[in-house]
Amino acid sequence: MKRRKKQAYKKGEARLPTRVSDRVLLPVVAFLLISGFYLAVHSRHARVGREVLLLEDRKAELLREQAELTTTLAELTSPAHLLEQAEALGFRPATYTDLDFLEIPGYVPPAPFVPERPPAGLAQGDGALAPAYTETLGERIYDWLGWGSAQ
Amino acid sequence: MSLRALSRQRIKVIFGIMLLFTVAIIVQLIRVQYGPYAPVFAKRVEVAEALENEVTPTRGLVFDRDGDLLATNAPMYYVEVEIIQLTPTSRREIAGVLSQVLNLPYDDLRNQLEADWEGAEQYRIRLRRTTESGNNWPIIVDQVVADMLNAFLADPDAPDLSGLDLVPAPQRSYPVGALIGHVMGFVNQLGEGYFGIEGYYDDWLTGQAILVDSGDVPLQASRLPDTPAGVNLVLTLDLDIQQMVTDILAEAIEDSGAESGQVIVMDPRNGEILAMVAIPQLDPNNYEPWLPEDGEGEEEEPVINPIVAGQFEPGSTFKVLTMAAALDAGVIEPDDIFVDEGVIEVGGVQIRNWNGGKWGPQTMTGCMEHSLNVCLAYIAVEKLHANLFYEYMEAFGIGQLTGIDLAGEVAGQMRTPRHPEWTDADLGTNSFGQGISTTPIQLVTAVGAIANGGVMVQPHLVRTVVGPEGEYWPQTTVLGQPISAEAAETLTRMLQESLEGETNFARVAGYQIAGKTGTAQIPDEFGYDPTWTIASFIGWGPLSDPRFVVLVRIDRPESSPWGSVVAAPVFHDIVERLVVMLELPPDDLPQDLAAEQVE
Repeated sequence: MKRRKKQAYKKGEARLPTRVSDRVLLPVVAFLLISGFYLAVHSRHARVGREVLLLEDRKAELLREQAELTTTLAELTSPAHLLEQAEALGFRPATYTDLDFLEIPGYVPPAPFVPERPPAGLAQGDGALAPAYTETLGERIYDWLGWGSAQ
Repeated sequence: MSLRALSRQRIKVIFGIMLLFTVAIIVQLIRVQYGPYAPVFAKRVEVAEALENEVTPTRGLVFDRDGDLLATNAPMYYVEVEIIQLTPTSRREIAGVLSQVLNLPYDDLRNQLEADWEGAEQYRIRLRRTTESGNNWPIIVDQVVADMLNAFLADPDAPDLSGLDLVPAPQRSYPVGALIGHVMGFVNQLGEGYFGIEGYYDDWLTGQAILVDSGDVPLQASRLPDTPAGVNLVLTLDLDIQQMVTDILAEAIEDSGAESGQVIVMDPRNGEILAMVAIPQLDPNNYEPWLPEDGEGEEEEPVINPIVAGQFEPGSTFKVLTMAAALDAGVIEPDDIFVDEGVIEVGGVQIRNWNGGKWGPQTMTGCMEHSLNVCLAYIAVEKLHANLFYEYMEAFGIGQLTGIDLAGEVAGQMRTPRHPEWTDADLGTNSFGQGISTTPIQLVTAVGAIANGGVMVQPHLVRTVVGPEGEYWPQTTVLGQPISAEAAETLTRMLQESLEGETNFARVAGYQIAGKTGTAQIPDEFGYDPTWTIASFIGWGPLSDPRFVVLVRIDRPESSPWGSVVAAPVFHDIVERLVVMLELPPDDLPQDLAAEQVE
């Protein structure tokens, strides 16, 4: 009998801290879960952000490369360069006595050269991202309640 | 060991590892915050957290009328150094490599690398070089050098360039270089356009800089905005004609031993400049020699484009305008006879012919053919009189800006009777282009009016402006009609006749051309230079439908002082090729074709 009482006391002693630790640890675990979830989302956001920065760098690099190639192409097609090559092949500039002039009825001269339009300015922002990707929960609730933008 | 003890031991190990990690993280945080690299990180954070940063858009491109690229933006790199990363070896080797590759003084680079920048709280510097003109510019390297330096940085066996960094920056680049230097002007390292097209259209080409949120923080990353780019310009220039004119002029300057020369080719119908060449050339990719030295040049800017800023006394080519005025005013007829005595006195000054000779009875056409100063002075003084003469000259735009779309144009100088120092002698000498100064573009514009039936149009270089919103085609601007179409036609025929008699060097077989030579003395502090002249020729054609006015000016030729000997052949060579490039058939061709059709 005495032995049984001791056991009962001991079990009771063990259950009390378990209940206490359950009550303390549950919010901690919940907090850790939310934090982990938040951290995962945030780290993914950071990774995508880093990717955006890298793509911006790559875009700048490609633009530099394009500019370099355009310049090289313009140098190679410059009149001085082409003239040099033509002379090396044995050609010489023509005079009007070298030419036969013909009247071509209905001849339409080529249209004047017009270059491509330069890009118009686009405002800085998130591009085509829907607000769902960027708005906070608070903003969404404000909007849902019809109170306008939280910002 | 009991289970409990084992469990405690495990917990201790886990705690130990966690503690170790925690301590490591804390140590790293302290290192970052207070270690030797702390200022570098702090600077980077400062930049990364900058709320706004000005982003300059790409400068607009410039093309010739056929789409050949004249000005673009090539990648260039500033050479920067992060001081904290420098080592004694890298200081030595950076200076060594850069001095060899870029041909810069080693000591100058070494001094920059050895300076106490940290004491001055600078942790990143941009290396600079001193130019021949004394300016201190940042060092810029092109893609080839940048690739080589980057390869060195990546190769552990290459010279130690630790701390070196290449920062990309757009730099204006001119693929055809000096061929269009005087027309284009240039853009300095701050992106500011100077002279020529770059100066005149600087605001349009630059575009609109905008402020953007910037930084390298991944969590704040977003797509960078596209800044509204500068407009693209299409010029009226034809690069093939420009090259052809340049080659011919360069050869003529070399053959005649001249100091310099200029040529303008303009379409008189609409004022489009087809070619504009000045030698010595200006290489806009290497514009530094043309910049004023530090502390100097504020009062007198260098003449970047002598065609719009180089004043000269035009000499006999100016007689075209005097004769045009007299014909339009109705005070003379082409067949009127003037008896040339070889000298005329105007305002106490004796005016003689170019050879000092007496030419006897001459028609007005003969006066132009033999370029008689006495005859033209007589017309101005006795027929037109001062007020009418200067009214006509003002109507021709002499002494005024043409308004051409190039930065740096000057107006020239013409004293009229309203000027306190004007005398009667001025009228006499002005009539044959002495004592009056014009710019080449002014002369071409005025003579272009005669080629265009009396209607004077504004010369211009931009044909199309292409912006993000669309295209803009500038319209021809009529500056006025100084003379009637009849007077222009009469003078043209007179000059065609006189050209055939006076200067057969300028005639182009198969084409009807009108023109006039000029041999101008050069004023100096003692009056006029006894040795040197400016030889020139101005002409236009084909007379059935004028498509070009060409002015040739050659300064201080050694081989001969005369325009008929030095400048007229250049005009001939240019026009002979020009008619092919402009696809102009010979004047007698339509009859030939008609004859073939009848057969």
